[in-house]
Amino acid sequence: MSAVRTLGIGTLMHAKHLSRSSFEIALALIIPLVQATLAVYLFRAGDEPHRLLEAAVGAGLMGVWSSVLFGSGGAIQNQRWQGTLEMIMLAPRRPVLVVLPITAATALTGTYALLATLLWGRLIYGIRLDFAHPLRFLAAALACVAGLGMFGLLLASTFVLIRNANALANPLDYPIWLLSGMLVPISVLPSWTAPIAAVLPTTWGARALREATSGGPVWPSIGICLAISTACLILGAFLLTSFERRARAAGTLALS
Amino acid sequence: MDSEYAIEAEGLRRVYRTRTGWIRPRRETVEAVRGVDLTVRRGELFGLLGPNGAGKTTTIKMLNTLLIPTAGTARIRGFDVVRETREVRRRIGYVFGGDRGLYDRLSALDNLRYFAELYAVPAREQRHRIAELLELVGLTGRERERVEGYSRGMRQRLHIARGLLHRPEVLFLDEPSIGVDPVAARELRRTVADLAANGTTVLLTTHYMAEADELCDRIAVIADGRIQALGTPAQLRRRADGRRVVEVEAYGVPATALTALRDLPGVRETALEERGALQLLTVQSDAGVDVQGDVLRELAGVRLGRVNSREPTLEDAYVAIVNAA
Amino acid sequence: MTTLRLIGVGGLLAYRALFNWTTPAMYVGTLLAGPTFQLLFFAYLGRQLGVADDGFFILGNAVLAASSACVFGGTMAVANERRYGTLGHVLLSPRSRTVIFWGRVLPYAGNGLLIAAFTLLMGTLMLGLRIPPAALPGIALALAAGSLACGFFGLTLGALGLRFRDVWVVSNVSAALLLLLTGVNVPRENLPPWMADIGQFLPITHAAEAARLLAAGHGLASAAPALGTELLVGAGYALLAAVLLRVFEAESRRRASLETR
Repeated sequence: MSAVRTLGIGTLMHAKHLSRSSFEIALALIIPLVQATLAVYLFRAGDEPHRLLEAAVGAGLMGVWSSVLFGSGGAIQNQRWQGTLEMIMLAPRRPVLVVLPITAATALTGTYALLATLLWGRLIYGIRLDFAHPLRFLAAALACVAGLGMFGLLLASTFVLIRNANALANPLDYPIWLLSGMLVPISVLPSWTAPIAAVLPTTWGARALREATSGGPVWPSIGICLAISTACLILGAFLLTSFERRARAAGTLALS
Repeated sequence: MDSEYAIEAEGLRRVYRTRTGWIRPRRETVEAVRGVDLTVRRGELFGLLGPNGAGKTTTIKMLNTLLIPTAGTARIRGFDVVRETREVRRRIGYVFGGDRGLYDRLSALDNLRYFAELYAVPAREQRHRIAELLELVGLTGRERERVEGYSRGMRQRLHIARGLLHRPEVLFLDEPSIGVDPVAARELRRTVADLAANGTTVLLTTHYMAEADELCDRIAVIADGRIQALGTPAQLRRRADGRRVVEVEAYGVPATALTALRDLPGVRETALEERGALQLLTVQSDAGVDVQGDVLRELAGVRLGRVNSREPTLEDAYVAIVNAA
Repeated sequence: MTTLRLIGVGGLLAYRALFNWTTPAMYVGTLLAGPTFQLLFFAYLGRQLGVADDGFFILGNAVLAASSACVFGGTMAVANERRYGTLGHVLLSPRSRTVIFWGRVLPYAGNGLLIAAFTLLMGTLMLGLRIPPAALPGIALALAAGSLACGFFGLTLGALGLRFRDVWVVSNVSAALLLLLTGVNVPRENLPPWMADIGQFLPITHAAEAARLLAAGHGLASAAPALGTELLVGAGYALLAAVLLRVFEAESRRRASLETR
């Protein structure tokens, strides 16, 4: 119970901290709108002009992923720069309880992008928000946030253990958008990419959202998304514990 | 598991390995702490003094679990800092100087709420404890402002409040008064003294000799990664017993004159401190020898200000210890 | 001659000092892999939605690939001076600032050209596009013109950095807008006219058009007008940057806002 409370308050505080950065907010709101606009014209130019709502949802989810990729990938490095890494690691808690709220917060603030693209689509392009399953859409969105937050923990712990991983991960927004079929499922991709897509929680999150938008079972996709994410969380927690020990041995918790 | 000592360290050593460069990485090892033994009793206010790079912060970070010692062992209230980290962390607080380490875009209240949760302060007590600490550090009324607008002194006080949230039995204060104005520094000293009086064990590092002299029950002088002297302020001061200090204000003392001064009969230490355009030359000598005349003779041709002869202070003792290291 | 030296040597030194991406991992990740992934994303999306053929996306995104290095580089050229607190020293130099800052653009543009060429190579290899060898010199020219124009565009944004604190928001958003407005990924005839019109005044637009014409086998003569327009756009931003730098410098001396940190 106290662990849940710690996660909740931690996520809230980190989300508050992120939300007050004008830089983060400007990027989190404006760039997805540009992407959504791009998607709308691409859909109109192509064969799918009737699926504009999917374009808006997809562009929003792309924004959520960007937020998680950059926020969680750099989560530990950011804390180090702020000088707060030592202070949070000093807590008499498991490292996962300390770091998960940070990555969950990046997923939570990522939903600003989703809200923004939906609103934008409604106001500018008159896209009617008639979801096939409104309640399930909400559930799918929540599952995406939770799932990506947990996936983010794996990113955070991996990136901090591998030298320069953060730099190499910088361009990972496009491949994940593409492989997970966030905007549209890409059936024309080479077949070897299918297994990769199948193990990405983003694939199933995107699928759940799409099913809730245009019709489909939704729940199985939500279930698979959360199951994969939970596996990521467990793996990430192990990696974090190892990171903590290595960082204490190497003296890299502080900036200098 | 109850130890009469709050802090015990035996043979602590710490080596840093650094790697620089990309194409041809250069590896270097630096031995920051080379064998530190110390014990601090419960409720004691213990000072760790030393020049920059002497190993003070490294020692503190080994004691508070942030660094794993390369060799040696340490226990906090009987718990091993490497193996029983969670038990240790429940019992310690850590405050460092400077203005980093806080969430700038959150209010002081939110910072404290967050850390209260992380540091496992029971939910029922949090509100009361936070209010109490805000009062203690004098931030009541400003707790809802974002930290980014705080002065350095306010941040420092918030650091202290954070370090005390979970009522730690042992408090590590790493140069808490750095960059704090004199009035705030005095209040800080009072707070620290009160904490110690109420039974908290405090390990303090500082650059300010007067601060250490006023507060600490015992002081360890650390230089070059080793403890060079350990005792009460009075005992350390006695290191400079039988000495006399001549202070000369001067402008542009040449290096040759300084070497010559060091070789004068009876002279034990010399130190030159830059104070803007002015230099303060301190010469310690055996009390029985009056070196003032010789000193002024060596400085012939140098523009001089005030000249003063006095009894040694803790600072002189400190200079003597560090120079001997 | 000394002016040329100031442009060349001064520019290179500033490049090494101020470019934040010079570690190999950062370079490979952000500047080489990033644009290639971006190209693949839009090419597959285009295939799926039936928007245009591969060549459209490959050439467009290759020209656009220069933009991240150039736009952010140009911004860094000015903005990081302020961050490192060295801007005052640069402005104290008796040399012409216009020349100093124009000189800084060249290495970024060169770097952009390299990235664009790499992206083009990756795109053609991975998606199997054949470009007539005779078209290659012309395409190289188009990539270079796009890079240069982008560099001056970035310098303009950097100049805004002297005046506005959140210049990185501006450059990030500008980079995203290039994606939309230059017709690189959405055929211009599918954009609303006002968006297409804005695109006319942005770098990349005309270079991408020229590159597509060339790759389709039209000669240099038919691509020349587009190439010329791209260079004109670049020159326009070079001038705009110079004017802004001068205005903001004068203003910041009046208001002592040069060193805000």
